Amino acid sequence: MSTTSERLEVQNASVGYGDKVVLHDLTFNVPHGARVAVVGPNGAGKSTLFKALVGLLPLRGGRIFVHGQPLGNHKDCVAYVPQREEVDWRFPVTVRDVVMMGRYDHQGWIRRASVQDKQVVGRSLAQMGIADLAGRSIGDLSGGEQQRMFLSRALAQEPHILLMDEPFTGVDVPTQESTLELLDDLRAEDVTAMIATHDLGISVQKFDLMLLLNHRLIAFGSPRDVMKPEHLLRAFGTRLTVLPDGSMVVDEH
Amino acid sequence: MAFLLEPLQYAFMTRAFAASAIVGVLCAVIGTYVVLRGMAFLGDALAHAILPGVAIAYLLQGNLLIGALAAAVVVALAIGLFSRQGTIKEDTAIGILFAAALSLGVALISTMKTYAVDLSHILFGDVLGVSSADLWLTAGLGLAVLLTVALLYKPFLVISFDPVLAATMRLPADLLRMLMLILLALTVVVSLQTVGVGLAAAMLVTPAATAYLLTRRLLPMMLIAALLGALSAVVGLYVSYYANVVSGAAIVLTATAFFLVAWLFNPRQGVLRRRVRQT
Repeated sequence: MSTTSERLEVQNASVGYGDKVVLHDLTFNVPHGARVAVVGPNGAGKSTLFKALVGLLPLRGGRIFVHGQPLGNHKDCVAYVPQREEVDWRFPVTVRDVVMMGRYDHQGWIRRASVQDKQVVGRSLAQMGIADLAGRSIGDLSGGEQQRMFLSRALAQEPHILLMDEPFTGVDVPTQESTLELLDDLRAEDVTAMIATHDLGISVQKFDLMLLLNHRLIAFGSPRDVMKPEHLLRAFGTRLTVLPDGSMVVDEH
Repeated sequence: MAFLLEPLQYAFMTRAFAASAIVGVLCAVIGTYVVLRGMAFLGDALAHAILPGVAIAYLLQGNLLIGALAAAVVVALAIGLFSRQGTIKEDTAIGILFAAALSLGVALISTMKTYAVDLSHILFGDVLGVSSADLWLTAGLGLAVLLTVALLYKPFLVISFDPVLAATMRLPADLLRMLMLILLALTVVVSLQTVGVGLAAAMLVTPAATAYLLTRRLLPMMLIAALLGALSAVVGLYVSYYANVVSGAAIVLTATAFFLVAWLFNPRQGVLRRRVRQT
Protein backbone atom coordinates (compact mmCIF):
# COMPACT_ATOMS: atom_id res chain seq x y z
CA MET A 1 0.00 0.00 0.00
CA SER A 2 1.42 3.38 -0.92
CA THR A 3 1.20 6.09 1.67
CA THR A 4 -0.14 8.73 -0.72
CA SER A 5 -3.49 6.98 -1.08
CA GLU A 6 -4.08 7.17 2.66
CA ARG A 7 -5.73 10.06 4.38
CA LEU A 8 -5.03 9.16 7.94
CA GLU A 9 -2.11 7.21 9.31
CA VAL A 10 -1.75 6.46 12.98
CA GLN A 11 1.62 5.00 14.00
CA ASN A 12 2.19 3.56 17.48
CA ALA A 13 0.11 6.33 19.04
CA SER A 14 -0.38 6.42 22.82
CA VAL A 15 -2.74 8.91 24.44
CA GLY A 16 -3.75 9.68 28.02
CA TYR A 17 -4.77 12.18 30.66
CA GLY A 18 -2.51 13.06 33.59
CA ASP A 19 -0.78 9.89 34.78
CA LYS A 20 -3.24 7.59 33.06
CA VAL A 21 -2.52 6.23 29.61
CA VAL A 22 -5.86 5.37 28.00
CA LEU A 23 -4.71 4.23 24.57
CA HIS A 24 -1.62 2.12 24.03
CA ASP A 25 0.32 1.80 20.86
CA LEU A 26 -2.36 2.18 18.19
CA THR A 27 -1.38 1.63 14.58
CA PHE A 28 -3.81 1.79 11.66
CA ASN A 29 -4.28 3.47 8.28
CA VAL A 30 -7.56 4.78 6.94
CA PRO A 31 -7.78 5.22 3.17
CA HIS A 32 -9.46 8.01 1.22
CA GLY A 33 -13.17 8.44 1.82
CA ALA A 34 -13.60 5.31 3.95
CA ARG A 35 -16.22 5.01 6.66
CA VAL A 36 -14.87 3.61 9.88
CA ALA A 37 -16.96 2.50 12.84
CA VAL A 38 -14.98 2.79 16.07
CA VAL A 39 -16.38 0.18 18.42
CA GLY A 40 -15.53 -0.87 21.95
CA PRO A 41 -16.93 -1.01 25.47
CA ASN A 42 -17.57 2.12 27.54
CA GLY A 43 -14.30 3.69 28.63
CA ALA A 44 -12.33 1.85 25.95
CA GLY A 45 -10.87 5.11 24.70
CA LYS A 46 -13.08 5.93 21.71
CA SER A 47 -13.56 9.57 22.69
CA THR A 48 -9.91 9.76 23.71
CA LEU A 49 -8.86 8.63 20.25
CA PHE A 50 -11.00 11.37 18.70
CA LYS A 51 -9.62 13.99 21.03
CA ALA A 52 -6.11 12.99 20.01
CA LEU A 53 -7.09 13.16 16.34
CA VAL A 54 -8.40 16.73 16.67
CA GLY A 55 -5.29 17.73 18.61
CA LEU A 56 -7.06 18.29 21.92
CA LEU A 57 -4.94 15.71 23.73
CA PRO A 58 -1.22 15.52 23.03
CA LEU A 59 0.28 12.21 21.95
CA ARG A 60 2.32 10.37 24.59
CA GLY A 61 4.12 8.53 21.88
CA GLY A 62 3.88 7.66 18.22
CA ARG A 63 2.72 9.84 15.36
CA ILE A 64 -0.40 10.77 13.43
CA PHE A 65 -0.26 11.89 9.80
CA VAL A 66 -3.01 13.46 7.73
CA HIS A 67 -2.23 13.49 4.02
CA GLY A 68 1.32 12.52 4.91
CA GLN A 69 1.70 15.63 7.09
CA PRO A 70 1.99 15.57 10.88
CA LEU A 71 -1.18 16.43 12.79
CA GLY A 72 -1.76 20.16 13.15
CA ASN A 73 -0.62 21.17 9.68
CA HIS A 74 -4.08 20.99 8.22
CA LYS A 75 -6.24 23.56 9.80
CA ASP A 76 -9.53 22.82 8.12
CA CYS A 77 -9.03 19.11 7.82
CA VAL A 78 -10.86 17.58 10.75
CA ALA A 79 -14.41 18.29 11.88
CA TYR A 80 -15.72 16.87 15.13
CA VAL A 81 -19.34 16.29 16.07
CA PRO A 82 -19.36 16.26 19.88
CA GLN A 83 -21.48 14.14 22.18
CA ARG A 84 -24.42 16.28 23.11
CA GLU A 85 -23.63 16.12 26.82
CA GLU A 86 -20.34 17.92 26.22
CA VAL A 87 -22.08 21.12 25.12
CA ASP A 88 -23.30 24.04 27.25
CA TRP A 89 -26.83 24.33 25.91
CA ARG A 90 -27.53 27.50 27.89
CA PHE A 91 -24.92 29.43 25.92
CA PRO A 92 -26.58 32.41 24.18
CA VAL A 93 -26.18 31.45 20.53
CA THR A 94 -28.63 30.53 17.78
CA VAL A 95 -28.47 27.52 15.48
CA ARG A 96 -27.20 29.74 12.66
CA ASP A 97 -24.48 31.18 14.93
CA VAL A 98 -23.20 27.70 15.74
CA VAL A 99 -23.16 26.57 12.11
CA MET A 100 -21.41 29.82 11.13
CA MET A 101 -18.64 28.95 13.60
CA GLY A 102 -17.74 26.18 11.17
CA ARG A 103 -16.81 28.90 8.66
CA TYR A 104 -14.58 30.97 10.95
CA ASP A 105 -11.45 29.22 9.77
CA HIS A 106 -12.33 29.87 6.14
CA GLN A 107 -13.41 33.47 6.55
CA GLY A 108 -10.58 34.60 8.82
CA TRP A 109 -10.95 35.48 12.48
CA ILE A 110 -11.47 39.21 12.09
CA ARG A 111 -13.37 39.57 8.83
CA ARG A 112 -17.15 39.42 8.67
CA ALA A 113 -18.97 36.51 7.05
CA SER A 114 -18.91 36.71 3.24
CA VAL A 115 -21.85 35.99 0.95
CA GLN A 116 -20.25 32.64 0.23
CA ASP A 117 -20.02 31.79 3.94
CA LYS A 118 -23.70 32.60 4.35
CA GLN A 119 -24.56 30.44 1.36
CA VAL A 120 -22.58 27.50 2.72
CA VAL A 121 -24.29 27.87 6.11
CA GLY A 122 -27.73 28.07 4.49
CA ARG A 123 -27.00 25.01 2.36
CA SER A 124 -25.68 23.01 5.33
CA LEU A 125 -28.77 23.83 7.39
CA ALA A 126 -31.04 22.86 4.50
CA GLN A 127 -29.16 19.63 3.89
CA MET A 128 -29.82 18.53 7.48
CA GLY A 129 -33.43 19.71 7.26
CA ILE A 130 -33.20 22.40 9.93
CA ALA A 131 -33.28 25.58 7.80
CA ASP A 132 -36.45 26.64 9.61
CA LEU A 133 -34.68 26.42 12.99
CA ALA A 134 -31.82 28.77 12.04
CA GLY A 135 -32.94 31.60 14.30
CA ARG A 136 -33.79 29.34 17.25
CA SER A 137 -31.64 29.51 20.36
CA ILE A 138 -29.79 26.25 20.95
CA GLY A 139 -31.37 25.70 24.34
CA ASP A 140 -34.76 25.19 22.67
CA LEU A 141 -33.72 22.26 20.45
CA SER A 142 -34.67 18.62 20.82
CA GLY A 143 -31.94 16.00 20.98
CA GLY A 144 -32.25 15.15 17.30
CA GLU A 145 -32.22 18.80 16.30
CA GLN A 146 -29.12 19.40 18.42
CA GLN A 147 -27.32 16.68 16.55
CA ARG A 148 -28.45 17.95 13.16
CA MET A 149 -27.11 21.36 14.07
CA PHE A 150 -23.65 19.95 14.77
CA LEU A 151 -23.80 17.88 11.61
CA SER A 152 -24.64 21.07 9.69
CA ARG A 153 -21.66 22.76 11.26
CA ALA A 154 -19.42 19.87 10.29
CA LEU A 155 -20.69 20.18 6.71
CA ALA A 156 -20.04 23.93 6.74
CA GLN A 157 -16.45 23.22 7.77
CA GLU A 158 -15.96 21.33 4.49
CA PRO A 159 -13.67 18.87 6.25
CA HIS A 160 -11.55 16.09 4.86
CA ILE A 161 -12.06 13.95 7.93
CA LEU A 162 -15.24 13.90 9.97
CA LEU A 163 -15.31 12.48 13.51
CA MET A 164 -18.61 11.75 15.25
CA ASP A 165 -18.95 10.62 18.83
CA GLU A 166 -21.99 8.38 19.39
CA PRO A 167 -24.28 9.98 16.80
CA PHE A 168 -26.79 7.12 16.97
CA THR A 169 -27.28 7.15 20.73
CA GLY A 170 -30.35 8.84 22.16
CA VAL A 171 -31.66 10.41 18.96
CA ASP A 172 -34.89 9.83 17.07
CA VAL A 173 -35.06 7.57 14.02
CA PRO A 174 -35.30 10.42 11.46
CA THR A 175 -32.08 11.89 12.85
CA GLN A 176 -30.37 8.49 12.67
CA GLU A 177 -31.47 8.21 9.08
CA SER A 178 -30.35 11.69 8.11
CA THR A 179 -27.02 11.00 9.81
CA LEU A 180 -26.59 7.91 7.65
CA GLU A 181 -27.67 9.83 4.56
CA LEU A 182 -25.11 12.45 5.36
CA LEU A 183 -22.46 9.72 5.45
CA ASP A 184 -23.50 8.73 1.93
CA ASP A 185 -23.24 12.30 0.71
CA LEU A 186 -19.86 12.70 2.31
CA ARG A 187 -18.57 9.58 0.68
CA ALA A 188 -19.45 11.10 -2.69
CA GLU A 189 -17.18 14.00 -1.72
CA ASP A 190 -14.40 11.68 -0.56
CA VAL A 191 -14.65 12.72 3.08
CA THR A 192 -13.28 10.15 5.49
CA ALA A 193 -15.70 9.51 8.36
CA MET A 194 -14.93 7.90 11.71
CA ILE A 195 -17.85 7.24 13.99
CA ALA A 196 -17.73 6.02 17.56
CA THR A 197 -20.74 3.85 18.25
CA HIS A 198 -22.16 1.17 20.49
CA ASP A 199 -24.33 -0.12 17.71
CA LEU A 200 -22.70 -3.23 16.27
CA GLY A 201 -25.63 -3.74 13.87
CA ILE A 202 -25.23 -0.35 12.17
CA SER A 203 -21.47 -0.84 12.11
CA VAL A 204 -21.75 -4.06 10.19
CA GLN A 205 -24.41 -2.82 7.78
CA LYS A 206 -23.23 0.68 7.00
CA PHE A 207 -19.49 0.85 7.41
CA ASP A 208 -16.55 -0.16 5.24
CA LEU A 209 -14.19 -0.68 8.11
CA MET A 210 -14.42 -1.40 11.82
CA LEU A 211 -11.92 -0.49 14.45
CA LEU A 212 -12.37 -2.54 17.59
CA LEU A 213 -10.84 -0.86 20.58
CA ASN A 214 -10.27 -1.65 24.22
CA HIS A 215 -7.34 0.52 25.32
CA ARG A 216 -5.44 -1.28 22.57
CA LEU A 217 -6.32 -2.01 19.01
CA ILE A 218 -8.07 -5.38 19.06
CA ALA A 219 -8.94 -5.62 15.40
CA PHE A 220 -9.14 -3.38 12.34
CA GLY A 221 -10.54 -4.31 8.97
CA SER A 222 -13.78 -5.10 7.19
CA PRO A 223 -16.75 -5.77 9.50
CA ARG A 224 -16.67 -9.42 8.43
CA ASP A 225 -13.09 -9.81 9.62
CA VAL A 226 -13.55 -7.82 12.79
CA MET A 227 -16.83 -9.33 13.99
CA LYS A 228 -15.33 -12.62 15.08
CA PRO A 229 -16.16 -14.04 18.49
CA GLU A 230 -12.50 -14.13 19.58
CA HIS A 231 -12.08 -10.40 18.80
CA LEU A 232 -15.33 -9.42 20.44
CA LEU A 233 -14.55 -11.50 23.47
CA ARG A 234 -11.22 -9.69 23.86
CA ALA A 235 -12.93 -6.32 23.54
CA PHE A 236 -16.06 -6.86 25.58
CA GLY A 237 -15.09 -9.79 27.83
CA THR A 238 -17.91 -11.32 29.81
CA ARG A 239 -20.36 -8.65 28.65
CA LEU A 240 -20.57 -10.49 25.33
CA THR A 241 -23.13 -13.24 24.92
CA VAL A 242 -23.26 -15.47 21.86
CA LEU A 243 -26.83 -16.54 21.23
CA PRO A 244 -27.67 -20.05 19.97
CA ASP A 245 -28.38 -18.71 16.46
CA GLY A 246 -24.86 -17.33 16.24
CA SER A 247 -25.73 -13.66 16.75
CA MET A 248 -23.93 -11.74 19.47
CA VAL A 249 -25.27 -9.36 22.09
CA VAL A 250 -23.25 -6.93 24.15
CA ASP A 251 -24.57 -6.03 27.57
CA GLU A 252 -23.44 -2.48 28.25
CA HIS A 253 -24.59 -2.33 31.87
CA MET B 1 -34.64 68.97 34.61
CA ALA B 2 -32.95 71.05 37.26
CA PHE B 3 -33.06 67.94 39.39
CA LEU B 4 -30.94 66.09 36.82
CA LEU B 5 -28.67 69.01 35.99
CA GLU B 6 -27.88 70.14 39.51
CA PRO B 7 -25.11 67.61 40.22
CA LEU B 8 -23.46 68.34 36.89
CA GLN B 9 -22.47 71.88 37.89
CA TYR B 10 -19.64 70.39 39.94
CA ALA B 11 -16.63 69.33 37.88
CA PHE B 12 -15.93 66.40 40.22
CA MET B 13 -19.48 65.13 39.63
CA THR B 14 -19.16 65.31 35.83
CA ARG B 15 -15.91 63.35 36.09
CA ALA B 16 -17.62 60.86 38.38
CA PHE B 17 -20.45 60.37 35.89
CA ALA B 18 -18.02 59.85 33.02
CA ALA B 19 -15.79 57.46 34.96
CA SER B 20 -18.59 55.33 36.34
CA ALA B 21 -20.38 55.11 32.98
CA ILE B 22 -17.15 53.87 31.36
CA VAL B 23 -16.68 51.36 34.16
CA GLY B 24 -20.31 50.28 33.88
CA VAL B 25 -19.93 49.52 30.18
CA LEU B 26 -16.56 47.86 30.54
CA CYS B 27 -17.52 45.62 33.44
CA ALA B 28 -20.70 44.57 31.67
CA VAL B 29 -18.94 43.56 28.45
CA ILE B 30 -16.20 41.57 30.18
CA GLY B 31 -18.82 40.37 32.65
CA THR B 32 -20.62 38.65 29.77
CA TYR B 33 -17.68 36.24 29.48
CA VAL B 34 -17.45 36.02 33.26
CA VAL B 35 -21.09 34.90 33.48
CA LEU B 36 -20.96 32.53 30.51
CA ARG B 37 -17.68 30.89 31.48
CA GLY B 38 -18.51 30.69 35.17
CA MET B 39 -15.64 32.96 36.20
CA ALA B 40 -17.49 35.00 38.86
CA PHE B 41 -15.29 33.61 41.61
CA LEU B 42 -12.22 34.51 39.59
CA GLY B 43 -13.42 38.08 39.08
CA ASP B 44 -14.01 38.50 42.78
CA ALA B 45 -10.64 36.96 43.60
CA LEU B 46 -8.83 39.23 41.17
CA ALA B 47 -10.47 42.27 42.69
CA HIS B 48 -9.21 41.33 46.14
CA ALA B 49 -5.84 40.19 44.89
CA ILE B 50 -4.90 43.64 43.64
CA LEU B 51 -4.76 44.90 47.22
CA PRO B 52 -1.01 44.30 47.70
CA GLY B 53 -0.25 46.13 44.47
CA VAL B 54 -2.22 49.11 45.68
CA ALA B 55 -0.55 48.97 49.09
CA ILE B 56 2.94 48.83 47.60
CA ALA B 57 2.16 51.71 45.24
CA TYR B 58 0.88 53.69 48.21
CA LEU B 59 4.01 52.94 50.27
CA LEU B 60 6.23 53.97 47.36
CA GLN B 61 3.97 56.97 46.72
CA GLY B 62 3.43 55.84 43.15
CA ASN B 63 0.23 55.76 41.12
CA LEU B 64 -2.28 53.43 42.83
CA LEU B 65 -3.88 52.40 39.54
CA ILE B 66 -0.56 51.29 38.12
CA GLY B 67 0.22 49.33 41.28
CA ALA B 68 -3.17 47.63 41.05
CA LEU B 69 -2.66 46.89 37.40
CA ALA B 70 0.69 45.21 37.98
CA ALA B 71 -0.71 43.08 40.81
CA ALA B 72 -3.76 42.04 38.81
CA VAL B 73 -1.74 40.97 35.80
CA VAL B 74 0.68 39.00 37.99
CA VAL B 75 -2.17 37.21 39.77
CA ALA B 76 -4.08 36.52 36.54
CA LEU B 77 -0.99 35.01 34.93
CA ALA B 78 -0.19 32.97 38.04
CA ILE B 79 -3.71 31.51 38.13
CA GLY B 80 -3.45 30.62 34.46
CA LEU B 81 -0.05 29.05 34.98
CA PHE B 82 -0.98 26.98 38.05
CA SER B 83 -4.14 25.55 36.52
CA ARG B 84 -2.98 25.20 32.92
CA GLN B 85 -1.47 21.77 33.11
CA GLY B 86 -4.51 20.43 34.95
CA THR B 87 -2.39 19.53 37.99
CA ILE B 88 -4.71 21.51 40.27
CA LYS B 89 -8.17 22.76 39.47
CA GLU B 90 -8.62 26.39 38.53
CA ASP B 91 -10.84 27.24 41.50
CA THR B 92 -8.25 25.74 43.86
CA ALA B 93 -5.50 27.83 42.25
CA ILE B 94 -7.72 30.88 42.58
CA GLY B 95 -8.45 30.13 46.24
CA ILE B 96 -4.75 29.85 47.09
CA LEU B 97 -3.62 32.98 45.25
CA PHE B 98 -6.63 35.03 46.28
CA ALA B 99 -6.04 34.40 49.99
CA ALA B 100 -2.27 34.86 49.71
CA ALA B 101 -2.55 38.16 47.85
CA LEU B 102 -5.24 39.49 50.15
CA SER B 103 -3.16 38.57 53.21
CA LEU B 104 -0.11 40.26 51.75
CA GLY B 105 -2.17 43.37 51.07
CA VAL B 106 -3.58 43.48 54.59
CA ALA B 107 -0.12 42.82 56.08
CA LEU B 108 1.35 45.73 54.12
CA ILE B 109 -1.52 48.01 55.03
CA SER B 110 -1.28 47.15 58.72
CA THR B 111 2.20 48.68 58.77
CA MET B 112 0.73 52.08 57.94
CA LYS B 113 -0.83 54.42 60.46
CA THR B 114 -3.14 56.74 58.55
CA TYR B 115 -4.61 54.28 56.18
CA ALA B 116 -8.18 53.87 57.43
CA VAL B 117 -9.71 56.39 55.02
CA ASP B 118 -7.73 55.23 51.98
CA LEU B 119 -8.48 51.61 52.78
CA SER B 120 -12.19 52.28 52.77
CA HIS B 121 -11.77 54.08 49.42
CA ILE B 122 -10.01 51.08 47.98
CA LEU B 123 -12.57 48.66 49.32
CA PHE B 124 -15.67 50.62 48.34
CA GLY B 125 -14.49 53.13 45.75
CA ASP B 126 -14.03 56.87 45.71
CA VAL B 127 -15.70 57.97 42.54
CA LEU B 128 -16.01 61.58 43.70
CA GLY B 129 -12.23 61.76 43.95
CA VAL B 130 -11.56 60.89 40.29
CA SER B 131 -8.96 63.31 38.88
CA SER B 132 -8.82 64.19 35.21
CA ALA B 133 -5.65 62.10 34.91
CA ASP B 134 -7.55 59.13 36.40
CA LEU B 135 -10.39 59.73 34.00
CA TRP B 136 -8.08 59.70 31.00
CA LEU B 137 -6.39 56.52 32.22
CA THR B 138 -9.80 54.90 32.75
CA ALA B 139 -10.96 55.93 29.29
CA GLY B 140 -7.73 54.77 27.65
CA LEU B 141 -7.69 51.36 29.36
CA GLY B 142 -11.40 50.94 28.75
CA LEU B 143 -11.02 51.66 25.06
CA ALA B 144 -8.11 49.22 24.78
CA VAL B 145 -10.11 46.44 26.45
CA LEU B 146 -13.23 47.02 24.34
CA LEU B 147 -11.19 47.15 21.15
CA THR B 148 -9.52 43.83 22.01
CA VAL B 149 -12.90 42.23 22.67
CA ALA B 150 -14.22 43.54 19.35
CA LEU B 151 -11.21 42.23 17.43
CA LEU B 152 -11.21 38.84 19.14
CA TYR B 153 -14.97 38.39 19.24
CA LYS B 154 -14.95 35.20 17.20
CA PRO B 155 -12.00 33.42 18.85
CA PHE B 156 -13.37 34.31 22.30
CA LEU B 157 -16.78 32.96 21.29
CA VAL B 158 -15.29 29.68 20.10
CA ILE B 159 -13.05 29.06 23.13
CA SER B 160 -15.96 29.89 25.45
CA PHE B 161 -18.62 27.82 23.70
CA ASP B 162 -16.70 24.93 22.20
CA PRO B 163 -13.09 24.23 23.25
CA VAL B 164 -13.04 21.17 20.99
CA LEU B 165 -13.83 23.26 17.93
CA ALA B 166 -11.11 25.66 19.04
CA ALA B 167 -8.70 22.72 19.07
CA THR B 168 -9.75 21.44 15.64
CA MET B 169 -9.22 24.95 14.28
CA ARG B 170 -5.82 25.11 15.99
CA LEU B 171 -6.67 28.27 17.90
CA PRO B 172 -4.05 29.12 20.54
CA ALA B 173 -6.59 28.44 23.29
CA ASP B 174 -4.19 28.79 26.24
CA LEU B 175 -2.97 32.13 24.96
CA LEU B 176 -6.51 33.39 24.37
CA ARG B 177 -7.60 32.27 27.84
CA MET B 178 -4.62 34.09 29.35
CA LEU B 179 -5.51 37.20 27.38
CA MET B 180 -9.07 37.01 28.63
CA LEU B 181 -7.74 36.88 32.19
CA ILE B 182 -5.63 39.97 31.55
CA LEU B 183 -8.63 41.83 30.13
CA LEU B 184 -10.57 40.83 33.23
CA ALA B 185 -7.73 42.07 35.42
CA LEU B 186 -7.62 45.41 33.59
CA THR B 187 -11.36 45.78 33.98
CA VAL B 188 -11.20 45.10 37.70
CA VAL B 189 -8.44 47.66 38.11
CA VAL B 190 -10.36 50.29 36.17
CA SER B 191 -13.43 49.71 38.33
CA LEU B 192 -11.38 50.03 41.51
CA GLN B 193 -11.97 53.76 41.83
CA THR B 194 -15.69 53.66 41.06
CA VAL B 195 -17.03 50.74 43.03
CA GLY B 196 -13.95 49.52 44.85
CA VAL B 197 -12.44 46.09 45.38
CA GLY B 198 -15.40 44.80 47.36
CA LEU B 199 -18.04 45.57 44.76
CA ALA B 200 -16.21 45.10 41.44
CA ALA B 201 -17.45 41.51 41.15
CA ALA B 202 -21.05 42.71 41.36
CA MET B 203 -20.56 45.10 38.44
CA LEU B 204 -19.02 42.26 36.45
CA VAL B 205 -21.78 39.78 37.09
CA THR B 206 -25.05 41.62 37.69
CA PRO B 207 -25.61 43.56 34.42
CA ALA B 208 -24.44 40.58 32.34
CA ALA B 209 -26.73 38.20 34.23
CA THR B 210 -29.63 40.64 33.74
CA ALA B 211 -28.94 40.78 30.00
CA TYR B 212 -28.81 36.97 29.86
CA LEU B 213 -32.39 36.89 31.12
CA LEU B 214 -33.46 39.18 28.29
CA THR B 215 -31.76 37.74 25.21
CA ARG B 216 -30.25 34.50 23.94
CA ARG B 217 -27.61 35.85 21.56
CA LEU B 218 -24.12 36.86 22.55
CA LEU B 219 -23.79 40.26 20.86
CA PRO B 220 -27.20 41.58 22.00
CA MET B 221 -26.38 40.23 25.47
CA MET B 222 -23.17 42.27 25.51
CA LEU B 223 -24.91 45.40 24.25
CA ILE B 224 -27.83 45.16 26.68
CA ALA B 225 -25.40 44.46 29.53
CA ALA B 226 -23.33 47.51 28.54
CA LEU B 227 -26.43 49.69 28.46
CA LEU B 228 -27.56 48.38 31.86
CA GLY B 229 -24.08 48.86 33.30
CA ALA B 230 -23.91 52.48 32.19
CA LEU B 231 -27.48 53.14 33.29
CA SER B 232 -26.83 51.61 36.73
CA ALA B 233 -23.77 53.82 37.11
CA VAL B 234 -25.60 57.03 36.21
CA VAL B 235 -28.79 56.29 38.18
CA GLY B 236 -26.71 55.05 41.10
CA LEU B 237 -24.72 58.28 41.18
CA TYR B 238 -27.90 60.38 41.24
CA VAL B 239 -29.21 58.23 44.09
CA SER B 240 -25.90 58.67 45.85
CA TYR B 241 -25.98 62.45 45.36
CA TYR B 242 -29.52 63.00 46.60
CA ALA B 243 -29.80 60.26 49.22
CA ASN B 244 -26.29 60.91 50.45
CA VAL B 245 -25.15 57.27 50.38
CA VAL B 246 -21.81 55.82 49.28
CA SER B 247 -21.71 55.91 45.48
CA GLY B 248 -20.29 52.41 44.88
CA ALA B 249 -23.04 50.83 46.94
CA ALA B 250 -25.73 52.92 45.25
CA ILE B 251 -24.48 51.85 41.80
CA VAL B 252 -24.42 48.16 42.70
CA LEU B 253 -27.87 48.32 44.30
CA THR B 254 -29.26 50.01 41.17
CA ALA B 255 -27.80 47.20 39.03
CA THR B 256 -29.36 44.68 41.42
CA ALA B 257 -32.75 46.39 41.09
CA PHE B 258 -32.54 46.02 37.29
CA PHE B 259 -31.72 42.36 37.75
CA LEU B 260 -34.71 41.77 40.02
CA VAL B 261 -37.06 43.46 37.56
CA ALA B 262 -35.71 41.31 34.71
CA TRP B 263 -35.94 38.19 36.82
CA LEU B 264 -39.57 38.85 37.66
CA PHE B 265 -40.77 40.00 34.23
CA ASN B 266 -38.46 38.54 31.54
CA PRO B 267 -40.25 36.86 28.64
CA ARG B 268 -38.59 33.47 29.02
CA GLN B 269 -38.75 32.31 32.60
CA GLY B 270 -39.91 35.41 34.46
CA VAL B 271 -41.54 34.39 37.70
CA LEU B 272 -44.51 36.74 37.38
CA ARG B 273 -45.02 35.98 33.69
CA ARG B 274 -45.31 32.32 34.46
CA ARG B 275 -47.77 33.02 37.23
CA VAL B 276 -49.94 35.08 34.86
CA ARG B 277 -49.83 32.44 32.14
CA GLN B 278 -50.95 29.73 34.54
CA THR B 279 -54.06 31.56 35.70
